[in-house]
Amino acid sequence: MALSTHAVEEIRALPARFPEIRSAVMPALDIAQEEIGHLTQEAMTEVAELLRLDPGYVAGVATFYTLFHLEPTGKHHFYVCTNLSCTLRGAVDICDHIKRRIGVSEFKEVSTDGLFSVEEVECLGACEYAPMMRYEHRFHYDLTADKVDALIDAAREDGHGR
Amino acid sequence: MAAEELRGSHGEQRHHLLTSLFGTEDLHTFDVYRAHGGYGSLEKALTGMAPEEVHAEVKTSGLRGRGGAGFATGTKWGFIPKDIPGPRYVVVNADESEPGTSKDRYLMENSPHMLLEGICIACYAIGAHQAWIYIRGEYDGPYRRLIDAIAELRAEGILGDRPFGKEFALDIQLYRGHGAYICGEETALLESLEGKRAQPRSRPPFPAVKGAWGRPTLLNNVETLSTLPWIVRHGGAEYAKFGTERSRGTRMLSVSGNVRRPGVYEVELGVSFRHVIMELAGGPPEGRRVKVFWPGGSSAPVLPESMLDTSTDLDELARVGSMGGSGGVIVMDDSHCVVRAAHRLLRFYATESCGKCTPCRVGGNWAVRTFERILSGQGGRMDLQILDRIQESLQNGRCLCGLGDSAGWVIMSTMQHFRNEYEEHALRNECSAERVPAHA
Repeated sequence: MALSTHAVEEIRALPARFPEIRSAVMPALDIAQEEIGHLTQEAMTEVAELLRLDPGYVAGVATFYTLFHLEPTGKHHFYVCTNLSCTLRGAVDICDHIKRRIGVSEFKEVSTDGLFSVEEVECLGACEYAPMMRYEHRFHYDLTADKVDALIDAAREDGHGR
Repeated sequence: MAAEELRGSHGEQRHHLLTSLFGTEDLHTFDVYRAHGGYGSLEKALTGMAPEEVHAEVKTSGLRGRGGAGFATGTKWGFIPKDIPGPRYVVVNADESEPGTSKDRYLMENSPHMLLEGICIACYAIGAHQAWIYIRGEYDGPYRRLIDAIAELRAEGILGDRPFGKEFALDIQLYRGHGAYICGEETALLESLEGKRAQPRSRPPFPAVKGAWGRPTLLNNVETLSTLPWIVRHGGAEYAKFGTERSRGTRMLSVSGNVRRPGVYEVELGVSFRHVIMELAGGPPEGRRVKVFWPGGSSAPVLPESMLDTSTDLDELARVGSMGGSGGVIVMDDSHCVVRAAHRLLRFYATESCGKCTPCRVGGNWAVRTFERILSGQGGRMDLQILDRIQESLQNGRCLCGLGDSAGWVIMSTMQHFRNEYEEHALRNECSAERVPAHA
């Protein structure tokens, strides 16, 4: 089994919140992804069984939405907006800088220490603070190389401390 | 979030109908919102007005939906059938993802209770006891704000069986999106809410009759609903005194890109984009000129600098070939290349196409490949003709929703106003934008 007893219980409780069971599929995938870090085939199948849905249906939903990760990400994942408002204010340079600092050449590639990955995303709706990104469940604004470095350094310190 | 500098309208001004209290400490809490008269409009509606009277005020106000289409809110409410028994829903479109648009985030972060009060008013007006807020998954801050605010309302009994002593049960639930621009389209949003891949439905049936889980459903945008407390408090006629003949009231414009003071500004409809871009947002950086702007999100056809005096009136924007859209004003200065900007936006539309309709699924990617050829110096006259054909094929009702049209408009409007830049790239492998020096 891919999921912990606790996660299974949480998923079993979801359908009661909705008029129809299918609406529970995304919250359930959230729970699975939160626990494992990304959505494995095994986890998606387990979600399907718990919600009595076809595994292919669940995989279909998971592959449609960008916030579901089908491949492992770094422990710390940068979602950097490169849509127009951010690109006009230097977002591409920020992406290049992050890639260099974490030692990857491609978006979604995980750094060798497993700590980091960076993803280019579409408009995150905070255009007055461009360039900006989402990191650790919050937005970071007016990005500069220095601000990004500080976050990377803090995460590395944290990572080595364990 | 609270520590962030507020970039946009706040404080008392004649035309700050939504934002006059913004900047007040802890406005996001129930106590502070209530102390400033919050939930007075809901109380007034529940205890002193019939649902039809609330609806009538909204009609009188002339309010038009602030999500993008600009459809008359009062008319939309009228589509909800009165005679169908069983549950009906208010579904809130908080899936703001139109490039250049951040005003719903600004509203939810600063005053979540203003939105919740508006939702409750809409529920009462159409006879719904349950509302769902579909909020995009990336909006962590606003989501936390809303969780807290909803918990406060439950504790106060405003969400419950008898809000303000009235026998009218109210409840609001949150539902998080998971990253898909298409969910801003209302039928795709409903599919997503039902736990499916978010592909638009063909209409009819319209959501008003058969919406969420097959039930009559009213879908409104965050800003639209946030305007209701003001309208109920002051009356629709007062609201209609603001704005223009066909675009009443105020609206939130998020101004971004190459301006000195990007921000979310509440303006009276009818002011010019020159006012919005050059005065409120401070104009382009030192030594630069505005080259082009998107007046209503990336989907709104572009307007060149020569059209800065265009009004924010929705019909006026339609008359000049663009639209008010989502209120996202993206400004680009003369150091940037229009062809590169169009390429970036086409990448967006190609990525976000849900794949259901062939013109959009195929056309977007085809356009991206064509742009790549042009920008890498491999282009020719044929590529410009291809872009022309693609933009035409994406438009005019060939797709179930507007995503395809939007992609087409980016190509069409940039080629219309900046044909020379396309020809420079495609025919001569040159880019004049890279040669524009800063003005002294």
